[in-house]
Amino acid sequence: MSSISAKTCLKRVAILSGFVLLVGVAFLYSGLYPMGADTPHFRATYWALETLREQSVARAAADVVVPENINASDRLLAGGADYNDMCSGCHLKPGKTSSDFSLGLYPAPPNLALSHDEHPHSDSEEAADKRRFWIIKHGIKASGMPAWAPGHDDERIWNMVAFLKVLPSLTPEQYQILTAREAGDIGHH
Amino acid sequence: MKNTMIRSITLSAAVLLTATAFAHDPSEHMKKNEKPQCAGMDHSKMDMNDPVAQAMMKRCSMADHDMKKEGGHDMHSNMQNQKTMEMKAADHDEHQH
Repeated sequence: MSSISAKTCLKRVAILSGFVLLVGVAFLYSGLYPMGADTPHFRATYWALETLREQSVARAAADVVVPENINASDRLLAGGADYNDMCSGCHLKPGKTSSDFSLGLYPAPPNLALSHDEHPHSDSEEAADKRRFWIIKHGIKASGMPAWAPGHDDERIWNMVAFLKVLPSLTPEQYQILTAREAGDIGHH
Repeated sequence: MKNTMIRSITLSAAVLLTATAFAHDPSEHMKKNEKPQCAGMDHSKMDMNDPVAQAMMKRCSMADHDMKKEGGHDMHSNMQNQKTMEMKAADHDEHQH
C-alpha cells in the first residue's frame, strides 16, 4: 500500500516537474520577460542574484595573495591613471556623483569614490583587497563589469587595487594630480 | 555564384573587423594626456609618511622635471606667475570697489 502511494507520489512530482519545465521553456521563447536595463528585478530576484555573486566572488577570491607592498606610493601613480581611464566613467571620482553609465547601467555600478563605510560589504581590509583584485581581473557576468585580465597583468591590476584603497579619501585636486599621465606614460610597467 | 561571392566578402570583412576589436593596447583606453595641476598643492599640510602625499610629490616633481627638460617654463615659475596674476586681480578688484 505504502509502495503504491510512494510510486504515485513520484509520478506526480515527475509530472509537475515536467510541467514546470515546459512552462519555463515556453516563457523563455515567449519574449515576455522585460529585458530592459530600466526595468528592475523583483526584490527576491535581486537578492538571489546578489547573494549568488557575493558568495561566488568570496569563494573564488579566497586564495588570492595580496602583495606585501600594496600600499606603496608608486602603485598609486600607476593605478590612478588606469582607474581614471578605465573605471571612472562608471565608478565615478571625487566631486562627481553620477554619469550616464552610473545612471543607466543595471545593476548600478558602485560609486568607489565613496567611503568604505558607505558600501554594504563588511569585509576585512585584506578580504576587500582580494575581492577588488578578483573582480577587476575576472569581471562580473551580465553586469557591465568586464574582465580586465586579457591585456592587463596581475601587477597592473594590483596597482588599481592600491588606488581603490585610497580613492575615498582623495579630494578632487589630489585625484587630478594622482591620475594625470605624464607624456609617453601609457601604463606599461 | 554571385551570392557566394557576396557572402565571402561580407564574412571576410566581419572577420577583419572582429580581429581589430580583439587587438589590445593600453593606449586604446587612454584619455587625453592631462598634466598634473600641482600649483594648488599645499606642502605644509602634507604628511610625508602618507603614501598619497608621497605619490603626489613624485608626480609633481616628475612633471616639474619634464617641463624643465622641455626648456620652457618650470613648475615654480608657473606657480609664481599664477600668484602674481592672482595678486594683480585682487588689486584690480580692490581699486574697483
